[in-house]
Order: sequence, then structure tokens, then C-alpha cells
Amino acid sequence: MAAALLLVSSILFSCLAASCHGVTLSSLQKTLIVFVTASPSPGQVLKAGEDSITLTWSFNNSFPARTDSAYKTVQVKLCFAPISQQDRAWRKTEDNLVKDKTCQYKIVAKPYSPSNNTFSWTVQRDVPTGTYFVRAYAYNSADEEVAYGQTTDAHKTNNLFQVKAISGRHVSLDIASICFSSFSIVSLFGFFFLEKRRAKHSQEN
Amino acid sequence: MTDIEGSPGSSMHGVTGREPVLAFSVASPIVPTDTTAKFDLPVDSEHKAKKFKLFSFANPHMRTFHLSWISFFTCFVSTFAAAPLVPIIRDNLNLTKGDIGNAGVASVSGSIFSRLAMGAVCDMLGPRYGCAFVIMLTAPTVFCMSFVSDASGYIAVRFMIGFSLATFVSCQYWMSTMFNTKIIGLVNGTAAGWGNMGGGATQLLMPLLYEIIRRAGATPFTAWRIAFFIPGWLHVVMGILVLNLGQDLPDGNLGALQKKGDVAKDKFNKILWYAITNYRTWIFVLLYGYSMGVELSTDNVIAEYFYDRFDLKLHTAGVIAATFGMANLLARPFGGFASDYSARKFGMRGRLWTLWILQTLGGVFCILLGRANSLPFAVTNMIIFSIGAQAACGATFGIIPFVSRRSLGIISGLTGAGGNFGSGLTQLIFFTSSKFSTATGLTYMGFMICACTLPVTLVHFPQWGSMFLPPTKDVVKGSEEHYYAAEWNDDEKSKGMHQNSLKFAENSKSERGRRVASAPTPPNTTPNYV
Repeated sequence: MAAALLLVSSILFSCLAASCHGVTLSSLQKTLIVFVTASPSPGQVLKAGEDSITLTWSFNNSFPARTDSAYKTVQVKLCFAPISQQDRAWRKTEDNLVKDKTCQYKIVAKPYSPSNNTFSWTVQRDVPTGTYFVRAYAYNSADEEVAYGQTTDAHKTNNLFQVKAISGRHVSLDIASICFSSFSIVSLFGFFFLEKRRAKHSQEN
Repeated sequence: MTDIEGSPGSSMHGVTGREPVLAFSVASPIVPTDTTAKFDLPVDSEHKAKKFKLFSFANPHMRTFHLSWISFFTCFVSTFAAAPLVPIIRDNLNLTKGDIGNAGVASVSGSIFSRLAMGAVCDMLGPRYGCAFVIMLTAPTVFCMSFVSDASGYIAVRFMIGFSLATFVSCQYWMSTMFNTKIIGLVNGTAAGWGNMGGGATQLLMPLLYEIIRRAGATPFTAWRIAFFIPGWLHVVMGILVLNLGQDLPDGNLGALQKKGDVAKDKFNKILWYAITNYRTWIFVLLYGYSMGVELSTDNVIAEYFYDRFDLKLHTAGVIAATFGMANLLARPFGGFASDYSARKFGMRGRLWTLWILQTLGGVFCILLGRANSLPFAVTNMIIFSIGAQAACGATFGIIPFVSRRSLGIISGLTGAGGNFGSGLTQLIFFTSSKFSTATGLTYMGFMICACTLPVTLVHFPQWGSMFLPPTKDVVKGSEEHYYAAEWNDDEKSKGMHQNSLKFAENSKSERGRRVASAPTPPNTTPNYV
């Protein structure tokens, strides 16, 4: 009875919240447990494009059994920790999930199942340098967020990991850049001195 | 008295203030045509074109026009090329808002100095080499973007690319060697406006290039670096075209430049003195900082603003940002036209009011742009803001020729520098701090525009009055001749150096508006040669 009430109220709540311009994070129940194990070892800075992390998530059984009946899909996202959001308003955390910019990188989307969920993810090459945590959102069939879970605590202070981005530079680009630059300078001065010489010759003749 | 080519202010010599802004040609016999010259366009005795044929590429006049404005356009493209790509660059280089703001300030600061040096370079080497030197020596700085790996490198490279905006000076200088003074206003205004459009075109071009390169397989953090090669190649191509197809003078190249004229050159320190001691100069320096200056600042921030605030895709934000800069095609000439039109009825007072109205309108819509919460409102406000600011730029240069006759060149240069300085200042104050959002920054910038436009009410010409005050009743002090001749001391007057100023004064009587007919003849202004 209590479970049914909780279920109904959680669905009602999420519907209400959705109708008020988007679901808010504070309205969601933290019913999922998400674990991330970084490989090769925790505490090491992960290199984008090379290192990978392994994620597991499951339903937190301390919640009533039927709470997750509305969950249809799960999306796992890479989110910025507060230190990487400082002086960067484009990564700002907002309670309204439509406006929230904390989690900008999608790791994986999978159909919901209460346990036995793992995924190994190589950090993408467009992930910037920063400090991160992982959050999983559960969606209902209307594609609205209904629950979430994250690897860190509510204040986002523990269990954070760091990523070092690729530089984006390539030796071939550097070489091309030097070649074109030299061409520009050489052709300018070449033209200049050639014209000076021609002028001098025509004056002497 | 023939003008020395390239002496300070010489590009505006002969501008009488009576030229209609949209004059496409000068009829003989106002300026006699040299019929012995074999050029595509009718030319005057110095072989400068009397006609402005927009869609021709004929050597040398129109070809120079096109080479010149396209070079300036290219430099605007590369100076603001980073702006629409900032959402990608900020992730690659781990930039904070402060870094992005500082880079924006750096991008407009470099040209303050390079423009000052460019005048001297054009004097020494001619405008063709002046243009080619700047554009080809800044090409490596554009290519340097591929090396940048942190905030300081980014700021340094944007600073160096900013030097390329000195092509503005070579562009205007070069036009003045090719076009008769009676149409030079239109020619220079068109070239400046079309060059400024580069700041808009780049917002379209760079995201498009980035998209194409990314789809071809590059990762985002490499794709933007490759995209920078295109503006770099444009620099090199334009430099080569300028060197090969361009010429300094209608009759040939630099050699003849220094041989012309046998009258003593005007002294630079005198010209500088009359420029800086005229309070109107500084008012227009401030005002231009809040018309051209805010235009440059907005070029730097607007794409990122739309991307973040309205969650648009990179190229959508770029398209919107581009409409801001591209409005220059018509808005700037419109400002000049509005200034001339109001002068016909209301004289100088009309010009001052036009400037104030246009610039304040721009300021008001800048405030509204920052406050707009929906995309359609934001875009509408942005467009009206752009028209106001850019038309105000055009209107400013409708008034500048009348501030001084002797020091016109330096005053134009100082005003231009004021534009860049204003841009650096507004970016520093409003778009570098994390204490408030970009939207709030735009609103504050709008308030500052309105406030900094108020000093135009203080501009008073004794002969024409000001926005609120009538001209002085004193017959001597209230004459145009007195105002312009006051820039020459008695010694110089006895040498007849002020003759051109007197001629200009006579023609500037049109700034009285409808009162021209009733102007009394002041005593002691009868020219010496009578």
C-alpha cells in the first residue's frame, strides 16, 4: 500500500515537475547506485582517447520494490565537478534539468534493468581537461527524467576523477603551418628585393 | 598648391564637405578631365579617377579598390575568426571566462599601434607594400593557431593577428592616391564598411569550415586548428595579388611618389598640436569607441552568447552572429547618408542630432538584447542594435571632416584608434569577469553606450552652434573662415599656407543648413590674392 502510494506519488510528482518547464534535479529520487572504476588505477589522471573507465549501476534496494516500475531507459553521463565549473558559466549547474549544463557528455544509453549493468567506456577525444563524476538518469517511457544516481555525494566533493584532454595538435599540422608561414615571408621579401633590383637595373640602363 | 602625396591629412585634402555621400562621379568642369590619359575611367589632372564604377576590375583604379577592400576584409576575417569557434576552443585549451575576455581585448588592442605605424610605412614604401607587408607578415600569426595549447598562447596569437587591422590605413591611403577627392568620401566609406563586413562573414565561414573538416574525420580539437589555415591562405593569396596586380599610383609605382610637389610639407608636430588641443577631437574619440568599439566587441562575443544562452548549434549561432557584422553593407553608408540629409535642412546641428539619435538607439537596443529571453526577440534587438551602431560609425565620419581642416588626417587616425580602445575597454569591463553573465554584460554595455554618447551635446562650433545652442552672434568669430584659419599662425598665413583651409571654409557654409543665404560677410577674411 505504502509502495503503491510512493509509486503513484513519484510518478505524479515527476509529471507535475515536467509540466512546470522541465524536470528539476531536486525533484528526482536518488534511487540508482552508480559505481565507476577507473582503469588502470584510481587517482590516476585519465587520458582522453586512451584510458577507459568501467561503470556499473543498479537499483538501490533500500528503496521500496516497485519504485522503479516506470523506469524504461538509463542514460549515463559524464559531468563536471564544481572545480571545473568555476569561471565557466557555460558549464553551470541549474536545478531545472532543461537548463542544466553540468552533464554534457553522454557515455551510454541502455534499457533499464535493476542490476547487472556494466559498461566500459574509453574517454572520448573531445572531452576537455577537467575533474568529473558520473551520473546516471533513469527515464520513463515519455523520455522524462524520473530518477538518478551519481558516483559522488550531494556536494560533489568525493570520488572525483580527472581527465586530461588531447592537445589537438599534430606534428603534420605544425609542419604545414611552418611551411606556409615561411612561404609567406620568403615570397614577400623575395618580391621586394627583386623589384628593388629591377628598379636599380632599369635606372642604370 | 599641389599636395604632397602621403603627407598627414592629405588623403582628405580637397574634401569640401559639400560632396553628397552617394556621389558616384564628379562631372566636368567641376574637376576637369585629363583627356590625354588612356584609362578605363575618366581621370583628373593627377590621373585619379573621377568616377566610381563598382563592378569593374579595370586597372588601376577599380582594381585597386577591390584589392584594397578585400585585403582589409581578409584581415577582419582572421582577427575575428576565433570568435565563433570559442565554444570548441575553450574546451580544448581549458579557458576560463577571464581568458576568453582577455583574448578579445588583445585581438583589438594590437591594431591601435600597428595603425599608427602604418601611416609611416605607407609614406616610406607606398600603400601597395604597406598592405602587402602587413597582410603577409601576419599570415604566420594566423597559422600559429595550430601551435596554441593554453590560454597564454591563445591570447598572444590573437594579439598578433590583431596587428593585421592596420590594413585599414593602407586601404584608405591607397584609395586617396587613386580617386579624386570629390568622390573619395564615398569610396573610402564603402571600402571601410565592406571591410568591416569581414567580422560578420567570419562568423559564417569558420563554423562552416569547422563542420566540413570535422565531418571529413578530424576530432573537434584538431578540426578548429585546421580551419584556421583558410584565413591564413587568404592572407597569402591576397598579399600575392596585391603585389602582382596592384600599383601605388595611377601611373605606376612608388618611384614617382616622392618626386611630386615642391611646396614645403606641413610640420607634423603642428598638425598634432591642433588635433590634440581641439576638444572636439576627444569627444569623437570617445564616441567612436562606443559605436565602432562596441561593434568590434560584439563581433567577439555574440556567437558564443547565442550558443550558450539559447542552446543553438555552432553554425546556427554563427549565422545569427554574422547578420550583425554583415549589416555593415548598408548600415554604415546609411549613417553617412542620414548625416548628409539632415545637414541639408539643419546643417551641423542636424548632423549632431543624427549621430546622437543613431548611437543612442543602438545603445537602447543593446540593453534590450541583453534582457531578451527568447530567441526571436534577441535576434531582432541585435539587428536594430547593429544598424544603430554601424550607422553611427558612418555618421561620425560625416562630422569629422569639419572638426579640423589642417589636422584632419590625425584626427581621423585618433578617432579610429579610439574605436579599438573602446572595444578593448568594454570587453575588459563587461565580458571578462565571472561576476555577471554575458547577458548582463550586454545590458551594461548598452547603458554605457547611451552615457558615452551624451558628450556629443557638448560639441559646439562657433559658426554653426551645437545640438542645443545657436551659433555665436559675433560676426567675426561666427564665420567658418575664422574657425579654420585659426589653425594657422600669422607667419604661416603670410606664406599663404592657409589657402586650402579658406577654400574649405567657403564650401563648408553648407553646414549652416537653410541659413546659408543669410550669412553675412565677415570683415578681414578677404583672401590675400584679391
